[in-house]
Amino acid sequence: MPINCKSSCGKKAVLKRPKTGDALCKECFFAAFEAEIHHTIISSNLFRRGEKVAVAASGGKDSTVLAHVLKLLNETHDYGLELVLLSIDEGITGYRDDSLETVKQNRDDYQMALKILSYEELYGWTMDRIVAQIGRSNNCTFCGVFRRQALDRGAKQLGVDSIATGHNADDIAETVLMNILRGDTARLRRCTDIKTGGGDDTIPRVKPLKYSYEKEIVMYAHYKKLVYFSTECVFAPNAYRGHARAFLKDLEKVRPSVIMDIIHSGEQLRFKDSVKKPVRGVCARCGFVSSQQPCKACVLLEGLNRGLPKLGIGKKSKGDRMIANQDREIALRERANLVKNDF
Amino acid sequence: MCTIGEDDFGDEGAAHAMVPESSDSGPIMGGTCTKCGVESEFVYQLKFRTAECKGCFLSYARHKFRANLGASKALPKNAEVLLVVDGSAESLVLLDMLHYAQTQNTFKRLHCNARVLIIDERALREQPDDDKSLFAILQELRIRYIPFEFYVIQLGSSLNDLQKLDEYVPKYGTNELCSTLVKLRSLTARQDYLHQQRKIFIASVAHKLNCGHVFEPSISTTLATQLLTAIALGRGGSAALDVGLQDDRLHSGVKLLRPLKDLNEQEVQFYVDAQKLKPFMSAQQYGVKCGKGASLQNLTHAFVANLQQNYASTVSTVFRTGDKIAQNQQLPQALTKLELGKSDAPSMPFVCVHCLSPLDCALSDTLLAIEYSRAVSKAGTKCFAADELETKAKQQLTVERTLCHACRNIQAEFSDDSRL
Ligand SMILES: [Zn+2]
Ligand SMILES: [Zn+2]
Ligand SMILES: [Zn+2]
Ligand SMILES: [Zn+2]
Repeated sequence: MPINCKSSCGKKAVLKRPKTGDALCKECFFAAFEAEIHHTIISSNLFRRGEKVAVAASGGKDSTVLAHVLKLLNETHDYGLELVLLSIDEGITGYRDDSLETVKQNRDDYQMALKILSYEELYGWTMDRIVAQIGRSNNCTFCGVFRRQALDRGAKQLGVDSIATGHNADDIAETVLMNILRGDTARLRRCTDIKTGGGDDTIPRVKPLKYSYEKEIVMYAHYKKLVYFSTECVFAPNAYRGHARAFLKDLEKVRPSVIMDIIHSGEQLRFKDSVKKPVRGVCARCGFVSSQQPCKACVLLEGLNRGLPKLGIGKKSKGDRMIANQDREIALRERANLVKNDF
Repeated sequence: MCTIGEDDFGDEGAAHAMVPESSDSGPIMGGTCTKCGVESEFVYQLKFRTAECKGCFLSYARHKFRANLGASKALPKNAEVLLVVDGSAESLVLLDMLHYAQTQNTFKRLHCNARVLIIDERALREQPDDDKSLFAILQELRIRYIPFEFYVIQLGSSLNDLQKLDEYVPKYGTNELCSTLVKLRSLTARQDYLHQQRKIFIASVAHKLNCGHVFEPSISTTLATQLLTAIALGRGGSAALDVGLQDDRLHSGVKLLRPLKDLNEQEVQFYVDAQKLKPFMSAQQYGVKCGKGASLQNLTHAFVANLQQNYASTVSTVFRTGDKIAQNQQLPQALTKLELGKSDAPSMPFVCVHCLSPLDCALSDTLLAIEYSRAVSKAGTKCFAADELETKAKQQLTVERTLCHACRNIQAEFSDDSRL
C-alpha cells in the first residue's frame, strides 16, 4: 500500500528519510534536504556576506551535491557569496583522471571557476609513483596528509575566506569511532566541529553537510539527476577507518538515528586535565599549519626523497632514528671514499 | 575520492596501524619463575611479562586491585562495601581478591566490611536454571569465603524480599520490571533500560544494607565495550562515569567502584586457574542470545570480542581512551545560566530523572538538527519561515526536559503511555 507524504501535500511518498523515519514525496524531500542545510549554515554562522568560498570538489557524490546545494541556496537566500571549485589531482590513474572530468562537468553546469592543483606540481610526486615505492598499506596516509595541505595551498592561491568540504554525518560519526579505536584524543576533541581552523594563519574549513546522511545525499543526487563519479578510491582506507565504517554500517541497520547519536556523543566528550592538547603552530619548513615540527607533509616528503618512505609513518622517535642511521651510513660511505681517494 | 582520508593521519600519541595479534592465553608450562627464581610445576606467562610462578603472579594481579583502590583514595577506611557476584569469572576474581585482602592480618589488610549480593535474574530468562545446583554452588562459595555474609534478591522485586542466602526461597513469576521491559519496542531500548534499572536497584539494596560503596567486577575489555556502547547510545557526556573507577551518579549517595578495571581477560583467566575458581552463570546477559544484529549493545559486544580475538591491543587502546575522558560538567552550569531568568528555574532538574546523568539536550546543535529535520519533513514544500521551524524544533527539544537524550530515546520506544 503506498504511503502518503508526511507533509500532507497530498502526494505519494517515494522515500523514507533514514534520519527521522518520515516518508516524503520527491518535492518535499528536496525542500526538506535543502532547508536543513540552509538551517545548518545560518545557525552555525558558517559564512558572511561578500566572502569567497572554495568548494573542495572531488567529483564524488558529497562534493557534487554540496556544490549544487550551495549554489542554489546562495541564489535563493541571497547569501552574497562568491563560490569557486577547488580540486586536487593526486595522480591516480583510472580514478582521478576520470573524476576530474566530472568536476569539469560541475564547473560548466554550475558556472563556477575551477582550480586544479596536482601533487606532481606541489610535491614532485604522483600517488601512482608513491604507491610504486611504498606499496599499498600506507598510501592513504600520504594521500590524506598531502591533500590536506594541498587544499590549504590552493585556497591561499585563490584568496578564499573559507573551504567548504563534503563531510557528511556518516563521515563524522565514523571518524568519532575511528579516533576512539586509535586513541587519538587530539582529533577526538575537534572531529565533530562544524568549523575548524581560522586563526591568523589558517583558512577555516566548514562542513555544511554535517547533519546530512549519506543515504539522503545519494537519494538527492539520484532524484536531481546530478552527475557524479561513484567509484571508490582504488586504494583501501586505513584499517581503523575500515573497521569503524563496517561497525557503523551494522549499527545503522539496527537504529538509523545512531549516526546523529554518535555525533552527539562525540560533541559531549570532555577530557581529563592531564590529557595534553596539541599545540598548533606553523611548520618551519613549508609555513603551513601543523602541530608538529616539521609538519607531517614535510616529513613524508623527506622520506620519499631520501628513499625512506616509512619515515613519518610510525612514531617520530623512530623516524628520527631512521634519519640518523641514514646520515651515519652516508657519512661512513663518504669517509670510505675519502680514504680510497687518499691512496 | 576519500575526502575523509585527510583526517586519518594521527598526531603523535595516536596508534598508526592496527596490529593483528591474537589474544591467546598462552601455554602454562613448568619452569623457573623469573621473579623469585623458584622452580615450579606451572608458570604463568602474561603478554609483556616474563614467566612467573603462581605466587608471584597472584601478588602481581592483587596489586593491581589494591593500587586502584589505594591510589585514588576512593575507598575510605572501614567503609561498608557491597560486592555484586554474578557468577562471571571476573566477579569471582574480585570476591577472591577482596577476601584475601580482608584476611591478611598484617598492615597489608584492607580495612573495610564486605557483604556479597547475588542478584537472581532468572525471572528475565525464559528457562530458569536448575535451582538445586545453583544453590549448592552458592553455599560452597559462602563457606569458602567466610566470614562474608551472602544476600540474595530477585532483580526488580521489593527490598523486603532481600534475604540471606541460607533463608532464600526463590519466587517465580514476573514483577513490574519484567512487564515494563515487554512494553519497549526494541531490544536496544530494553537492554539500556535494564542496564539503568539494575544500577538503580543495586544502589537501593546497598543503601538498605548500609553500604556506601558497591564493587562492580568490570575489567578492561568490559569497559572498552561499555565506552563504545555509551557512544552509540548517545551517552557521550556521561560515558566517563560508565568506564571510570568511580560512578557517583547513584541514588542515596552510593558510589560504584570498579577495582578490577585495569585487569585484562588473560589475567582473569590465569587468576581463575591459579585459585581454582568455578564461574557458574557465565553472566549471560539479557537478550544476548537474540544474536549480534538484534541491538546496538549486542553489535558492540560482538565488535569488541572480534577485536579482542584479532587485534587485542586495539581493545586496550579503546579502554585507555576511556581512561582519558571526563564527565561533561559544563552542562548543568550552562543550563543554570540559560534557565535562571525563567520563573520555573528552581524546579528545573540538572540531571536526568532516570539515569541521573547531566541533562544534555538544551544546548546541542546536533539534537536541534534532528528536531529541525522532523519539522521540515512535516512542512514539506509549504512555505515556512526558517525561524518559525526553528522555534518549533526548539520547543520539541524541551518536551521531555527531565530526561537526557539517551533516556528520551528509551521513552520514545514505549508502546503505551508509560513514563520513565
Ligand atoms: Zn510531499
Ligand atoms: Zn611543512
Ligand atoms: Zn615466583
Ligand atoms: Zn538519562
